[in-house]
Amino acid sequence: MGTRRIVKYSAIASAVALGLSVVATTTVAAEHGPVAKIDVNNAKAEIGKRLFFDRRLSGDAGISCSDCHSPDHGFGSKEALSPGYPGNGHFRNAPSLVNTAHKKTWMHDGRLGTNLNDVTREMLTEDYIMNMDMRLMQERVKQDSEYLALYKAAGMNEPSNGSIRKLLPIFMKTLTTRNAPVDNGTMSDSAKRGGAIFDGKGGCNQCHTGALYSDGGRHNTGVPENLDIFLDPMNHQAYLAYGIGMGVENIFNTKRDIGAAVQTHEADGSDRGTFMTPQLRGLKYSAPYMHNGMMATLENVVDFYNQGGGADSNKSNLLQPLRLTSSEKSDLVAYLEALSGDALTGDEFVWSKSFPAEYEVIPNWRQVDNRTRAPIKSTH
Amino acid sequence: MFKKRKTNPVAVAVALGATLMAGCTSATTSVVKSESSSAHMMVASMESGTLVAASRVSGGQGVNNPPLAALGPVPIPPDNPNTPAKVELGKMLFFEPAVGGDTSTPCSACHEPDQGWAWAEDISRGYPGTVHWRNSQTTVNSAYYPRLFWAGSVPSLEAQAKSAAGGAVAGNAEFDIVEARLALMPEYRKRFNEVFGDEFPLYRNAFRAIAAFERADLVQRDAPIDNYFNGDKDALSEEQKRGMALFNGKANCIECHNGAMATDFDYYNIGVPTLPRWDEDGLAQITYRYEMYAKGSNEEMYKNYKEDPGFYFRDKNVWNKGKFRVPSLRYTMYTAPYMHNGTLMTLEDVVDFYNQGGGNNVFSANKSDLIKPLGLSDEEKEDLVAFLEAFSGDEIEIERPKMPGYAPLFTKAELMMEKK
Repeated sequence: MGTRRIVKYSAIASAVALGLSVVATTTVAAEHGPVAKIDVNNAKAEIGKRLFFDRRLSGDAGISCSDCHSPDHGFGSKEALSPGYPGNGHFRNAPSLVNTAHKKTWMHDGRLGTNLNDVTREMLTEDYIMNMDMRLMQERVKQDSEYLALYKAAGMNEPSNGSIRKLLPIFMKTLTTRNAPVDNGTMSDSAKRGGAIFDGKGGCNQCHTGALYSDGGRHNTGVPENLDIFLDPMNHQAYLAYGIGMGVENIFNTKRDIGAAVQTHEADGSDRGTFMTPQLRGLKYSAPYMHNGMMATLENVVDFYNQGGGADSNKSNLLQPLRLTSSEKSDLVAYLEALSGDALTGDEFVWSKSFPAEYEVIPNWRQVDNRTRAPIKSTH
Repeated sequence: MFKKRKTNPVAVAVALGATLMAGCTSATTSVVKSESSSAHMMVASMESGTLVAASRVSGGQGVNNPPLAALGPVPIPPDNPNTPAKVELGKMLFFEPAVGGDTSTPCSACHEPDQGWAWAEDISRGYPGTVHWRNSQTTVNSAYYPRLFWAGSVPSLEAQAKSAAGGAVAGNAEFDIVEARLALMPEYRKRFNEVFGDEFPLYRNAFRAIAAFERADLVQRDAPIDNYFNGDKDALSEEQKRGMALFNGKANCIECHNGAMATDFDYYNIGVPTLPRWDEDGLAQITYRYEMYAKGSNEEMYKNYKEDPGFYFRDKNVWNKGKFRVPSLRYTMYTAPYMHNGTLMTLEDVVDFYNQGGGNNVFSANKSDLIKPLGLSDEEKEDLVAFLEAFSGDEIEIERPKMPGYAPLFTKAELMMEKK
C-alpha cells in the first residue's frame, strides 16, 4: 500500500503531520479495509424493506425509493440523471445506497449531515423527489394489514410517520458490502497491481480513503457539466426547485450545477462545482458515474483522472496527469471492480411480493378505534 | 329594509317569521354571526347600495333576514384589481397542470367546467393516489363569499386557491417547483412580467391571477331570480313564485339562505348524515384519518370520531362540531350532489331532507333549532324545487385556453460559453 497522504489542514497541522510521518504511514496503510456489517433487528429491517419498495410512500403513489435506488443497479439508477418525481426530472445521478449507513454526510453536495433518518425525511417530503405529506403516508401505511402484522411481529405499536422514518434506515443498514475480493483475498493479479497504483502512482487515495474509499470531503475534479440538466426543462425545473429551496442566489440565471457551494456559499465562488467524494464500494453495479452520470464506464473514469481531470477554474490541484500506461489503466479498473462485493439482489434485500392494487377497507370502521382498530369502548 | 319590503312583499312575511324564530337562535351562533356580519355587509352594500344588511340584528333580540335580491357587481379587493391581461393569465393558470404536484391536477381537475365547475361525486376526486374528504364546491360566484371552504378557513379567493393547490389530498404542490415550472414556460414569463412586473413568475401572483379570473368570468348575475328582481316579473314561472313564497314563509329557507347570494355566510349543523363512503372505501378512510390528524384533533377525537367536525377546526369549540358554512344556492342546478359531503344527490332530496327536519349525526347536540319538520305537501315540494332552479342561469362555458409549453431557458451555445 502506498504512503501518499494529503495534508490539507493548517500549517501547524502540517508540522504535526511531518513529525508523525511514520505513524501516518501506517494509518494510511490500514485505512482501506472491509466494511463493517451492521447488526439490525431483522423484524424491523423486514418492515423497512417493504416500505422501501412501496410506491404508496410517494405523494401520488407513483414511485418508491427503489424506483431510483434499484437493487439491480447497486441501489442506484442506471440513468445518468435520476428519474425524479412524476411531473419533473432530476439533476443528479442517484447514488448507490450500499454502505450509506456508514456515511457521515449525504447527497452529492453533502447538504445533509445529521443521520439517515433525516435523509429519509428529506427524500420522502421533497417535492421533486417523492412529494409525500408524511401525515398522509402514516395513514396509508396504517390502512395496510400486512404492515400492521409486520409491526406487531416486530413488537411495535401501530405505524406512525416517526417509525417509518426509523424503519427505512434500519433496512438501509443491511445494505453493506460483503465478500469483496479486496477484502477476502481473492483479487486477481491485475487487481492487486491496480491496488498499488491506486495508492501510489494514481494517487487515488488522496481522496478515496477508508473502508468506503471516501474522505467524506468535497473536491472539484472538473467533471463536465451534464447539459441535459439545463436543456431538458423537466430536469431543469427540479434543479431550480432545489436552488430556490436552498436559497441559491440568482438561481434562474445559473448555468451550472454549483454542487457543495450550497453548503458553504463562498463569496468568491471558489466552492462552485465541488462535490462530495463518492465511496467506491459498489462501482461494479452502479454505472454511470460521477454526480451527474457523465461517465458511462470505469474505463472512462480512469481515463478522466489519467488526463488530470476536467477543466474548471476551481479544480483541485490534487489532480495532475498520471501518465498511466494502458495496462496500468486496466489494472486500476480491475482493482476498482474488486472493491464491490456480492450483488444485493436476493430476497434479503428485495421485497419481491406484490403490493395490493387497492387499499383494503376496514370493514367495521365505525365500531373500531382509528388508531388501533380495537373496538371503541366509549363513544363521544 | 323598508324599501326592500315594498319591492318584495314576501319579505314582510319573512321578517315576521324571523322574529318568531329569533328566540331559537343560540347565543353561540350569535357569536359566529357577528364575526361574519362585517364581510356580509360589504357584499350587500356593494350589490345594491342599500342598507339591507345593516338592518340585521344579532344577539337574540330578533333577526331580520336580508331578502333575496339580484346579485350586484362582484366585490374586487383593492389590492388585486382586475385587468383583462390578469384575467386571461388567471384563466390559463386555472387550467394549468403545472400548478399541481405531479402536473396532473390543475384547479379544473376538481372544479371541472362540465361538472358545474365542481366535481360530480359525493367527495372531491382529490390528488392522484388520494381522495378528498369533502364535496368540491363550485367556483361560480365564489367571489362573493367573504370566506372560502366549507368551514370558512380562508379569507379570500387568493388564499383559497393557494391552499387548495398545496393540500396533500388536493393539488399537493409546493411553491418552489411551481415557480420553477412557470419560469420554464416563456409564455408565462412574458405574461407575469406584463401583469405583475415579475422577472420570473411568482407563486403568490399566480393565485392573484386565478382569483381575478374567477371574479371576472365565473360570475353569474343573470339567473332567472336576478332577472326577476331586476324587474322582469315573468322571469319566474307561477310555480317558482309559489316556491319563493314557501322559501320565504312556510319552509323558512330564508332564515339562512338570504341576501343576494342566498346565504348568510354563517355556520350551522343541520344534521347532514355521515358519509357512507367512509364505510366502504379504504382510500376515503385514509383521508378521513389524515384530515383529523392534520387539522389538529385531540387523542380521543383522532381515535374515535367517524364524522367531520367542520367549523370546530376553526376555533376548537365543542359547540361548533358538525357546523358548515351555508352554501349559496346559486348555480346549484349544475352542482349535484349537495351538502359538504355530497350525501344528497338531487335538489328533491335536499327539499325532502329539510321537510323532515334535517337529519342526524353524532354532533346533533349542536344541531340548529331552526331545522324542524316543515309539513310541505308534494306539490309544495315541487314548487320549492322549481324555485331553487331559478337560482341557476345558463351553464357557464368558456373556451379552454391553449396551454403553453416548456422551453429551455438557455441555448446549448450559452451553456457551453459559461465559464467553469
